[in-house]
Amino acid sequence: MPFLLLGIVTIAFCISRLIPADPLASIVGVRQMANPTIVAAARQKWGLNGSILEQYWVFLKNLVRGDLGISFRTRKPVTHDLLDRLPATLELAVGALVVGGVGGVALGAYAASKKDKMADHLSRGFSLLGSSLPVFWIGLVFLFVLYARLGWFPGPGRLPPRTKPPGHVTGFYTIDSLLDGNFTLFRQCLWRLVLPCFVLGWAYMGQLSRLVRAAMLDEINSDYVRTARAKGLAERLVMRRHVLRNAWLPTLTILGFSFAQLLTASVLTETIFQWNGIGSYAVQSANTLDFPGINGVSLFAGLAFLLANLATDVLYAVADPKIRLA
Amino acid sequence: MRRHVEGRNWSKVVAFIAVGAIIVASCGSSKKSATTAAPTGTGSQSTTAPSGTTAPSGTTAPAGTNAPSGGAHELVIDRDMDINSLDISASYCDTCQIFNTAVYETLITVDPADPNKLLPRLATSWQANTDNTVFTFKLDPAAKFADGSQVEAKDVKFSWQRLGNLKGSASYLMAGMKSIDDSDPTTVVITFDAPNSAFLPIVAASYLGIINSDVATAQGATDAADAATADKAGDWFLAHSAGSGPYQLESYTQGDKLVLTRNDKYWGAKKPAFPRVTIAEVKDSSSQLQQLQSGDADISMQISVDAVGQLQGNADVTTKIVDSYNYVYIALSPGAAGGEKLQDVTVRKAIKEAIDYDGAIQALVAGKGKKQASPIPNGFIGSAGLPLPEYNLDDAKKLLSAAGLADGFELDATYPDANVYGVDFNLMMQKIQQDLAKVKINLKLTPIQFTDWITRINAKGIPVTAVYFAPDHTDTSQYIQYFGLIPNSFWAGSAGGGAAGKPMDNPKESDLLKQALGSSGDAKAKAYTDAGQQMIDDEIIIPIVNTQLVLASRTNITGMHYSACCNLDLGLLGLAG
Repeated sequence: MPFLLLGIVTIAFCISRLIPADPLASIVGVRQMANPTIVAAARQKWGLNGSILEQYWVFLKNLVRGDLGISFRTRKPVTHDLLDRLPATLELAVGALVVGGVGGVALGAYAASKKDKMADHLSRGFSLLGSSLPVFWIGLVFLFVLYARLGWFPGPGRLPPRTKPPGHVTGFYTIDSLLDGNFTLFRQCLWRLVLPCFVLGWAYMGQLSRLVRAAMLDEINSDYVRTARAKGLAERLVMRRHVLRNAWLPTLTILGFSFAQLLTASVLTETIFQWNGIGSYAVQSANTLDFPGINGVSLFAGLAFLLANLATDVLYAVADPKIRLA
Repeated sequence: MRRHVEGRNWSKVVAFIAVGAIIVASCGSSKKSATTAAPTGTGSQSTTAPSGTTAPSGTTAPAGTNAPSGGAHELVIDRDMDINSLDISASYCDTCQIFNTAVYETLITVDPADPNKLLPRLATSWQANTDNTVFTFKLDPAAKFADGSQVEAKDVKFSWQRLGNLKGSASYLMAGMKSIDDSDPTTVVITFDAPNSAFLPIVAASYLGIINSDVATAQGATDAADAATADKAGDWFLAHSAGSGPYQLESYTQGDKLVLTRNDKYWGAKKPAFPRVTIAEVKDSSSQLQQLQSGDADISMQISVDAVGQLQGNADVTTKIVDSYNYVYIALSPGAAGGEKLQDVTVRKAIKEAIDYDGAIQALVAGKGKKQASPIPNGFIGSAGLPLPEYNLDDAKKLLSAAGLADGFELDATYPDANVYGVDFNLMMQKIQQDLAKVKINLKLTPIQFTDWITRINAKGIPVTAVYFAPDHTDTSQYIQYFGLIPNSFWAGSAGGGAAGKPMDNPKESDLLKQALGSSGDAKAKAYTDAGQQMIDDEIIIPIVNTQLVLASRTNITGMHYSACCNLDLGLLGLAG
């Protein structure tokens, strides 16, 4: 795992340094870029004065100590920036996983049980729509219709305007508002999660429901299912205890992978819904060539995928007694 | 069986509601109706040359109300923020101007209704010596910082010296400063190496706001010559402020929001109206529009002119289109690699005449913009009477023919992929590409990120590019210093090919700038006008459109304005009723 992470940060480091643009432009500004004294001072201050190899060596030394450097843009340690934004992204990702996971499994199971009937076609159409429509488009349309026109849902942002965030304990506004005993704020925060989580989760709901449907249809035709039915077991129990349980394993893989994706690929959703999480941090870092920020986000993404894979492996062993972890 | 039937009915109900929702949503405008203040389309700035910027001495303070009018209402402003720092001396951006003006105060300020009229703020009076090298300011003894301590001459000296020595983007404003005398706590005397009649308007620039020096030095700030490396207060300023303005910094979350709170001890006549002001990061115009319509925002600062129509019929929102001093332009760089054919000024003139300005203004900002003669924007001293660019295809062809280029040629046009002041640079460059194709000039368009653009323009220049400009203060000198072909000018260097080339030079512009800075009144105006004509004749900078601004706010917000020095002065805003 450490070697994999090292590989990820090394590739991110090299790509950012090979771009034919100077990050100092966004640090000192247009006017001062023509001033060699100021440029030299800034280059030294931000550790951009050595060769790429020297910069890489300094980066690695700091990384070993858990120091990802100071962001050129926010002027704060990148670790602080990422931890600050992580709760926002996690809230969004968990919500989207619930939408995508529960919705996907339910829809897939329902479609499988109604194979080739109207309900099957409708649920497949719904899932296809979710996976094929661009997230940014759905987000904008939902905001336009459900917020701006109908006023059924709140606008973008984690908090209502003119509202102070709850006391900082975890950084999760939903949890912190509960800890504050502020149930009104809790409801508001939860309500604000609905649209972005649905937009983000819909795409995964589509993928998952198709997978669950296919896996369940495979299982439905298995001998053990026929045996269970022959024994007179109720269809509901056959589906829940036998079919869904065995179709669950490939679903688990997708769920783990989806969670890592949700953590790292919510860039558009965060931008549209003004969600100040790691996705929007990644965009801003890339736009301003904030090297420490870019490296930090890359490391976070690598970690997210590795941990999600690890969690999936562990859950696999729990779900299937035949599998044992080494 | 019964449950199954119920389930079916429930599905139908849900489907019915969903379809109904979509139909309702798509049925024209929302229920909020009535009349919107129609966009005037007229500007508030005069295009005639004002008589000069020599400040009146001892002008009385602007009238204001003593009682805050905002009550408990918290003001929310939507804006695509571009903050580079909250340390006033290191800041340099449009949003910084708003923040600086709200939290810090300058010695004098600019009348939003007349950019050439200076008004007192921390200073009650000011005067310049006859050759504009020594300026004396009398501070208002009532002026207090937010912590209750008095604003003194030592604070002014600290703030201005720190601004110059931090060597940030706005440090150029203090160029030529020789000394500051702060021996009398209520009198500031600043001396320059050379005449600098631009200094009084510069004093009104938000970057020259005054910092509480005792508080700042305790946090590691310094005004010493080595401040660029020795000053350690940058981080502190991200979470704190040390000014005397109507608001104080409460918090700043990069990419999210900037929150200000009322300075309850504000010393000025007009008390801050709102207990809290939030400037929320909202990137796109349509989101700003939606949030303004819904009441989630009180002011939206970057609504595009073509979206104004959507607000018509909404009595809760007021919009007004006003002139601004912002503009977008293209620049021709004869010294850049690939720009050799531009070394002939006739070719540059042909390019200028081949552009259909009226068509561009219509296409880019729905006609809500003006043509501009030179890099000096309409309304600034020196802009009046200069010839506006004209589309003349026949003349352009003749000029190219005379230059031996009737068969056309190709030019690299690399520009920032941006949308600024409502102008989409991609659209603008495509329009110019179409126009130039009529004279057989083939523009190769390459949009790039802004940081890449800065790197490239500084390193080796770009033959044809597009950029934008907004004023830092209200004196015309900044345009000659930035666009003129004079030593240390940005565009003299870039047009000459950046670091790889040799700066272009037009000695007449240096002389005219020197004349202007040493004079006042009509003589100063004439020098600036002549400099403007010189810059037109250089054919390096070709302004495409002087954009107009949409002032959009909830109808109960009072005092909405556009200020040349400060963008939007939050201290002037209030709540009706």
